[in-house]
Amino acid sequence: MAEVSPTTNRFAQFKLVLLGESAVGKSSIVHRFVKNTFDDLRESTIGAAFLTQTITFPETNTTIKFEIWDTAGQERYKSLAPMYYRNANAALCVYDITSRSSFNKAQDWIKELKRQAPEGIVIALVGNKSDLAEDRQVEADEVEEYIQQQTSEEDGNSRIITSECSAKSGEGVLEIFNSIGRALPVEEVINASSRGRSAGGARQQGGIDLARARRQQAAAANSSCC
Amino acid sequence: MSQFLDPTLEVSTPKQSGHKRTESSYSTSYSVLDIYETESPISARSPTTTNNELGDEIMRGLDELEFKDLSNDNTLFASNGSETEINSNSNLNLNLNLNSNSYIEERIEYITPINNITNIKTILSSPYDMYGFKKKSNLSSITPEHYNQWFEQYSQYLLERKQKWLSLMRTNGLNLPNDSTIPTRFPPKSAKVKKLIRKGIPPEWRGNAWFYYAGGYEKLSKHNGLYKEIATNGVKNKDSDVIERDLDRTFPDNKYFKSNDNNEPKMIQSLRRVLTAFAHYKPQIGYCQSLNFLAGLLLLFMNEERSFWMLVILTERIIPNVHSHNLEGVHTDQGVLMLCIKEYINQLWPILGKSFDGQLIAEDKILSNLPPIALVTSPWFMSLFVGVLPIESTLRIWDILWYQGSKTIFRIGLTLFKMSSETNEFQELTSTNSSQNDQVELYQFMQSYPKSLLDPNEVLGNCFKKIGGYGYGSLSQAEIDTCREFVSKQREKLNNKKKNTSIAVTDEERQTLLLGQDVHDVYGFHRSIMILQIK
Repeated sequence: MAEVSPTTNRFAQFKLVLLGESAVGKSSIVHRFVKNTFDDLRESTIGAAFLTQTITFPETNTTIKFEIWDTAGQERYKSLAPMYYRNANAALCVYDITSRSSFNKAQDWIKELKRQAPEGIVIALVGNKSDLAEDRQVEADEVEEYIQQQTSEEDGNSRIITSECSAKSGEGVLEIFNSIGRALPVEEVINASSRGRSAGGARQQGGIDLARARRQQAAAANSSCC
Repeated sequence: MSQFLDPTLEVSTPKQSGHKRTESSYSTSYSVLDIYETESPISARSPTTTNNELGDEIMRGLDELEFKDLSNDNTLFASNGSETEINSNSNLNLNLNLNSNSYIEERIEYITPINNITNIKTILSSPYDMYGFKKKSNLSSITPEHYNQWFEQYSQYLLERKQKWLSLMRTNGLNLPNDSTIPTRFPPKSAKVKKLIRKGIPPEWRGNAWFYYAGGYEKLSKHNGLYKEIATNGVKNKDSDVIERDLDRTFPDNKYFKSNDNNEPKMIQSLRRVLTAFAHYKPQIGYCQSLNFLAGLLLLFMNEERSFWMLVILTERIIPNVHSHNLEGVHTDQGVLMLCIKEYINQLWPILGKSFDGQLIAEDKILSNLPPIALVTSPWFMSLFVGVLPIESTLRIWDILWYQGSKTIFRIGLTLFKMSSETNEFQELTSTNSSQNDQVELYQFMQSYPKSLLDPNEVLGNCFKKIGGYGYGSLSQAEIDTCREFVSKQREKLNNKKKNTSIAVTDEERQTLLLGQDVHDVYGFHRSIMILQIK
């Protein structure tokens, strides 16, 4: 067991929502991240699925717990979407690298999030199915081009994380959640929480619900997947 | 695309053109039925005149009518008898599906009937259950050993139930040539039949019984041949892409849906045709994810044409608008369910009625601001518990649903909440010293707990048993209808206000929506009935 020092208790919880066209692999990414499993055929998600997973950053002695809201992808479920991304701290907009239309759809989600989601939400644009590179329809440079365009519109203050992964092989999946974890205002939440401001459910600019942050037993760090 | 594909032309397809029928020619035969059929919250039916008994009476009347027609002139329905001649001497083994639908004869029987020890042993030693589902599911913690342990007992129960049904058939003059015959006709609705339905329809009889009690024959005879036309011509439409993406993702754990050696299973082909035809016939719905599971499950029990009409019946009168483009029915029914919880499991409302920030949602805001638990319950309506509960429990609910209608969903919904609230996990998750961060754990639990309910008798016993049960069997269709109507009107008002002014509705306006009336009257609940039964 590691030495118990005050810093091993550093803990923050964040809500992460998955968005994207149906069958791009949202649930598969989540299952790879949470259970490290993969099924070639996964049943279509109806409504939403809830999962949690923690990751630990040893260099800062910080544990982050993701509460993951996995959603149904079909267009018409959009009417339920505000229920998903309300209070969300991070969003994974997933597309399938072998489907151009899914890439367009992911961009629509980013547009929607910028309009509706809490300010400061961390957004990741993720291309799944990188194991199917021979059928690729979405090239890395067009993703970069899209991001450049977005960043200039936004005065560069909210860069979107981009990445590719394969839920099937597992390649790149953990890295995405790590990047998101590093982009989240962890210190802000922990400090606010340690100042005893966690009561009352007050929300601050930046979209972080301070009430979500809390300290937890060092034991939580044991479930790290890093 | 052919003009036949226009659903508005359904009554004048070329095949029927020589057979002139006007709307009024239906009226004598179908008027009673139409009353029964209308289950929409915006129905013309007055809420005060509806209850179970009336529905039962109408169905009894209908059955008498049908039987009379049958014995007199060997046709089933007076209004279009020329198209539904019965080509058999037997008055029981009716070939109602007609020669035109030749694929019906080719249908594979998917269900392993549980009528002898050999079959029971086969199931016990197989990795699959009697419906072709893998006993071990990735979605729950149930193991094949766990399954077999349960099935050894449950198969005995199934044998017993089958005998009860055979005896019911005999007392209703519906003798079967032998015990393995699958009847196409069932006794009229009655208290006795309802009791048997709640204890479960023999698995291999399910398809026919569901179709019969849901009014499938009436639909089929009104639109004879229509499915075949749509299915033959409408092989592709604007929903085809979305449908295609879900075909392989419908019951991948079922052997009949799983492709082997790159050969597409017959079942997937059927599923494609039914979903495509449905999207074409109901353009206001098109294809909605979750219809794949509904159609898929139906197809295990009945042919394509019947599955198609069951989807139509379901979306027209049992859960209207739930699958529509804006999912308005999902919002409406979640609103109704939330009000039901508040009314009938009031002690759970402070836990379930919390908004995202952990605050209890004020009564006048429930409908405009559904609590996030509604994300857990929306699949209960969209896929009617498929994937929510283990398959046998789902099928037992479907037995009741097709017989009794939408109130079943709310009754079971309340039961699931009540059952989960009695578990230790639920108590721990909601104890006062747990933080509101655990809300998501609660949602997770509410999703995983029902998957462990392998024994249908436990769920249904809790729901319906007069002694020792929760008493939710008393929640009437009239209550649900009134409440649905109320909720859908309120939502309409809210939506209109949002649209017209593009600003949020003020608290004051929300207050006035409730008109200051006694809320129990507004929602339509009969609390006094329940109070006696719920401690």
